[in-house]
Amino acid sequence: MPAPADRPAGTASASDPDGRPLLSVRGLRTAVAAGGETFDVVRDLSLDIYPDEVLCLVGESGCGKSITALSIMRLLPSPPVHVSEGSIVFKGRDLLRLKSRQMRRLRSDSISMIFQDPLTSLDPVFTVGDVITEVIRSHRKASRPEARRMAGEALAKVGLPDPAARLDSYPHQLSGGMRQRVMIAMALVLDPDILIADEPTTALDVTVQAQILDQLINEQRRRNMSMLLITHDLAVVAAVADRVAVMYAGEIVEEAPVDELFEAPRHPYTQGLLKALPQVGVKRKRLHPIPGLVPPPQLMPPGCGFAPRCPCAVDRCWTEHPELSDDPDGRTFRCFNPQPFTA
Amino acid sequence: MKNLAARTVYMVVVLVLSSIAVFYAIRLSGGDVTAARLPASATYEQREAFKDQLGLNDPIYQQYFNYIGRVLGGDLGTSLTNNAQISDLLLNHGRNSLILGAAAFLLVFAVGIPLGMLASLRRNSWWDGGIMTFSVAGMAVPNFWLALLAVWLFATVLGWFPSAGCCSPRQLVLPAVVLAMEGIALTVRMTRSAMLENLNQDFVRTLRAGGLAEASVIGRHVFRNALVPIVSLAGLRIGQIVGYALVVETIFGWPGLGQVLVNAVLRRDYPVAQFFSLVLVTLVLLGNWLADVGYTMVNPRLRRA
Repeated sequence: MPAPADRPAGTASASDPDGRPLLSVRGLRTAVAAGGETFDVVRDLSLDIYPDEVLCLVGESGCGKSITALSIMRLLPSPPVHVSEGSIVFKGRDLLRLKSRQMRRLRSDSISMIFQDPLTSLDPVFTVGDVITEVIRSHRKASRPEARRMAGEALAKVGLPDPAARLDSYPHQLSGGMRQRVMIAMALVLDPDILIADEPTTALDVTVQAQILDQLINEQRRRNMSMLLITHDLAVVAAVADRVAVMYAGEIVEEAPVDELFEAPRHPYTQGLLKALPQVGVKRKRLHPIPGLVPPPQLMPPGCGFAPRCPCAVDRCWTEHPELSDDPDGRTFRCFNPQPFTA
Repeated sequence: MKNLAARTVYMVVVLVLSSIAVFYAIRLSGGDVTAARLPASATYEQREAFKDQLGLNDPIYQQYFNYIGRVLGGDLGTSLTNNAQISDLLLNHGRNSLILGAAAFLLVFAVGIPLGMLASLRRNSWWDGGIMTFSVAGMAVPNFWLALLAVWLFATVLGWFPSAGCCSPRQLVLPAVVLAMEGIALTVRMTRSAMLENLNQDFVRTLRAGGLAEASVIGRHVFRNALVPIVSLAGLRIGQIVGYALVVETIFGWPGLGQVLVNAVLRRDYPVAQFFSLVLVTLVLLGNWLADVGYTMVNPRLRRA
C-alpha cells in the first residue's frame, strides 16, 4: 500500500481549502422505537465524504456504524428504526427529504452499498446475472442483452473467474469470496460516486479478506470513487484509509487523517483501541482490553458516554456532554481531558 | 435428479403396498357381495355358486394376483351391481371429478396467494386480521359441515346457486368452493408467513440498495422466494382435494370418482371399490411426487449444477 499522504483527498476536512464534500452528514440522529420508548442509537453525527477518498468508520459492534450507513442509504428497517434529526446532503440535495422514488434512483447509481454476509445478502432464487441485469435496467435504458453484457463485464472487472458462465450461477454455487465479488460487481456496475462498504470482509476467510480488500481499493482508485468503509479491524484501517472517524456508543468521538490518528490519537477511547491491538513482532505478556462494557442506549450517562470506562475521566465528564470540536492543533475529538498517547 | 429417481421408486413401492392393503381391507370389511345381485330369497347354495363364478372363494392372494394380472392387461373388469364397464365409469366420472378438482385446485392458489400477500403487506392491519380470521375458520370448519352450511345459505335461503347436480358452471360453484376451502386457508397462512419471512432477509436490503423498485423487490424477488414452500406443498393440496372429493361429491350429488367409490363400498362392489381406491391413491401419490418435482424446479439450491 502506498502511503495515504500522497493522495489528494488524504488531508483533513477542515484544512482542505478547495475540496467540497461529496456527501455531508450533519447532526444525524437515528432512533429505535422499542416497547413504547425510543432510544437514540446514533446521536449528533456529522461527517463529510470527499471526492476520491477512503473514509473509515471504526468502532466496536453495536456502536452505530451500520445504522449510520443505512441512514445514508435510507434503508433502515423502519419501523422500528428511523432518522429523527439531521440532514444528509449529497450534491446539493438532502437525501432525507427526497421522495422514495428519487432516493431509489440514487441508490446504486450514485451511492452504492455492499454488505457483510455475502451468502444471505444475495437473492437465492435468482441467478447472479439476472439480478445485476435488473439493477442496470432499473436505472439505464438498456436492452436485456446489452445489460447482460454489462453485467458480464462488471463481473470480469472484479476478478471473477469465467464471468460469462458465472452470470448463470446461483449464489449457492459460489464461494464466499466469489459472492462478495459478485456483490461488489453489482454495486459498481453503474459507476457510483460513493461506495459504502459495511464490513465487507468480516464474513470471509482471512486469505480471501485481503484479496477482496485489494479489489475494493483498486476499484476505488481506478474509478476515482469515494468510499465509506465500515470496519472494526484497525489493520484494515491502517492499510486503506485516508481519514478515520472513530465511533463510540452512537457518536463520533474522534476524526483524523489516518496517520495522525495512529501516531497520536487524542480521545482516550481511540487510545484504548490502539493499545488493545496486538502487534506483530512485539512480544507482550498481555493485551490491554478496555475495561467495562458499552452502556446500552437506554442507560447512557448524562455526561460523556465513555466516562465509566475512561482512565482519565474528570468530574466534568460525568455531568457534561462533550461536543465534537477542534483543538488548537487542528485535531477533532470529543473529550474534556485529552491525554498525550503513550503506547 | 437422483433424488427424483428415488422418489419415483418410492411412489411405485407405496402403490404396490397400498394395492395389497386396499384389496384385503375391502374383503375384510364384511357385508354380502351377493345382496345387490341376487334376490333376497336366494339360497345359500345359490349365493356360493355366484361367488365361485366370480372367483371370490379362491384364496385372497390368488384373487389378488388374478386381479392385478387382469388390470395390467388392460381389463379393468365390470361392476358387480350393474355390469357397467369400469373403464366407462372411469372415463365419465373421472371427467366430472377432474372438472371439480381442477376448479378447486385453481381456487386454492388464485384466492389463497393474493389474500396471503395482502395480509403480509398490510401486516397487523384490519385486512390482516380479517384475512387471518377467515383462514383459521377455513381450517377449523370441517368440509361436510361447510357444505351443508353453504347449501343452506346459498341454495335454500339466497337461491344463488343450485344445491346439487352436474355439471353447469353454476352447479360447480358451491362444491368447488367447499372443496377448496381448507386449501385456501392453508395457502393464505403459508403465503403470509413465507412473505414475512423473506421480507426480513438480508438479500431484500441488497436489492433495495441496488435501486430496484419496491414493486420488483416484493412482487418479483420476495414473492419468488416465498413461492418455494407454497409450490412444494401444491402437490399435497392435490392429495387433500382428492380425499375431500369423496365427501363433497356425495353431498352435492356430483357424479365423480368419489361418489362412485362411496357407492361401491356401500354395496360391496369389490372390483369398482378396489379400482377406484387405487385411482385415488395413485392421484395422491402423483400429487406428492409433483410436489418434489415442483420443489426442485422453484428452488435452485436443490437443482444440480
